[in-house]
Amino acid sequence: MLAAPFQAEFDANSQEFSFAGVVRPRSVDEIAHSISMFRNAIEEARGVLYINVKRLAQMNNTAFHAFSRVVLDACRTRSDIRFVVVTSSVVGWTERMFRHLGKIEPQITVEVYDSKFYPGQAFVEDTSFIPILRTQTKMTWRHERKILPRHGMRPGITMADICCGIGDFAVLVRKEFQPARIVALDHSKASLAYARDVASNFGISDIEYSYGDASEMLLEDNQFDLVTCRHSLQIFNQPDLLLKELYRICKPGGRVYITNEKNSHCLGEPRAQSIQWTYNEVARLFAHFEMDVELGPKSRRYLADAGFDDILVESFMVTNQDGDPQDFADIITAWENVYAGEMAVKRGDPPEFIKRFRQGFRDHIFAALHPKGYAGWPIWAASGRKPL
Amino acid sequence: MNAAHRQPAEPKFEPLLQFEMEMGTFLSDWHHCDQLSTYMARMISHNRTDPLRHSNFFSSALNELLEVSFRGGSPEGRIGCAVYRHGPKERVKISFPCPAGQRQFFREAVARTHGNDAYARYLDALSTDLAPSREVVLLDLAINFDAEIRLEEQDPPSITIVVDLPLEGIVS
Repeated sequence: MLAAPFQAEFDANSQEFSFAGVVRPRSVDEIAHSISMFRNAIEEARGVLYINVKRLAQMNNTAFHAFSRVVLDACRTRSDIRFVVVTSSVVGWTERMFRHLGKIEPQITVEVYDSKFYPGQAFVEDTSFIPILRTQTKMTWRHERKILPRHGMRPGITMADICCGIGDFAVLVRKEFQPARIVALDHSKASLAYARDVASNFGISDIEYSYGDASEMLLEDNQFDLVTCRHSLQIFNQPDLLLKELYRICKPGGRVYITNEKNSHCLGEPRAQSIQWTYNEVARLFAHFEMDVELGPKSRRYLADAGFDDILVESFMVTNQDGDPQDFADIITAWENVYAGEMAVKRGDPPEFIKRFRQGFRDHIFAALHPKGYAGWPIWAASGRKPL
Repeated sequence: MNAAHRQPAEPKFEPLLQFEMEMGTFLSDWHHCDQLSTYMARMISHNRTDPLRHSNFFSSALNELLEVSFRGGSPEGRIGCAVYRHGPKERVKISFPCPAGQRQFFREAVARTHGNDAYARYLDALSTDLAPSREVVLLDLAINFDAEIRLEEQDPPSITIVVDLPLEGIVS
């Protein structure tokens, strides 16, 4: 496998100089061009210059000293400029190495980039949500286990489950399809701890759980036959960026499989009107936090724009008839608690709105548990092939 | 000797992986440092809690050690590198032939990683040196990777740098 090539870029609009990839030169001469670019960027910058090393996978001491030298010298000649080094909580050594610069020059601060930078993520990463995530996977799995082979799932493949959450999908896939290798990545340490615990209790030691940022992964290019990313593009403020990363790590000829919802199409009978009103509002609420839970039917466009071919899109409806209706009702209760109890409150919605908002969830539960009722939650599953 | 004077028992490190090659071959291409560190890191990290991040961290440390041997080694003889594990620690033993004049340098550089002024020295070097010396690279390992470093000199003209890296605890 090839190492990610080194890139140094300056974005004058955001005054951000970015380092990415692997840089391990034998001498400073090999990186003279990048150093010169860096010096020019500093000369051009006014106020604050951001130094982004989030995607810097490797940098040896020779390069680290050379670039540090440029920053430290600038601090000594330019009292009007400040430097903010943005490291990644994923690439541990960057945080440890760059923090020293702030100790030498007070004009330099070092920040660690992690999931708190994403709007709205905290709502869905709360550990109280874990039991309901398991129920959701249990209900969607009934459908996905049948459709996954059409999207490239088969025994012996190398696969990655990106935004794996509590890792239950990876465990189910491993049991049902026996892939040769599974890497499961998420940026919630609590979810990963839970995932590892579950795997350990089941005696599973061959799923590689990894902490990482799905939009800036350490995984190398062209590695996986199948990359799955379920219910995540819709809660990411830049789904195209995430899809670009999924494309990057997928092998040419391999497939990327995504699932997403269209929340306004959740339905139920009886009390259809109240249910529909609430789920239309759910879509608006998520949009307020820069998440698009209407993304499902847009999957085809997103995949095409990202460069995939042979795109396959299908939808399935999780209903109260999938096993125990109480499971369906439990999911809706959890949604009500998070959407009405936390997100709407955070948005500053008035009590009368929240009351009506809650009622739609309760009517959905009523429909789910009604002996003649029907309640549905539609999901779009889509995949595209990375061209050879 | 009574119990109070006994050295703590050396933990049993299990061998994981090792390579050996002619020093001349190793020195023929700088990229061997990157390639070997990346490959070995990936191999030994597969069963760590977070294989991807462990591999990234370990590769970073091992590459610096390989670069030290590249810059300080002499072309005759062989370079050997072995990785062992005990619990959350990996032990790297890297042996390479080096000129007699370099041996004292390595003794002093390793000793400085244990000094109370190690961090001050590291900051000073970062602040003033134009390029990192091999001493600073060892300080970097001690400070940024919490490495314990010692030297073995049983088999001149080779020296062996032994580095214990508690990366599992740092990564996870």
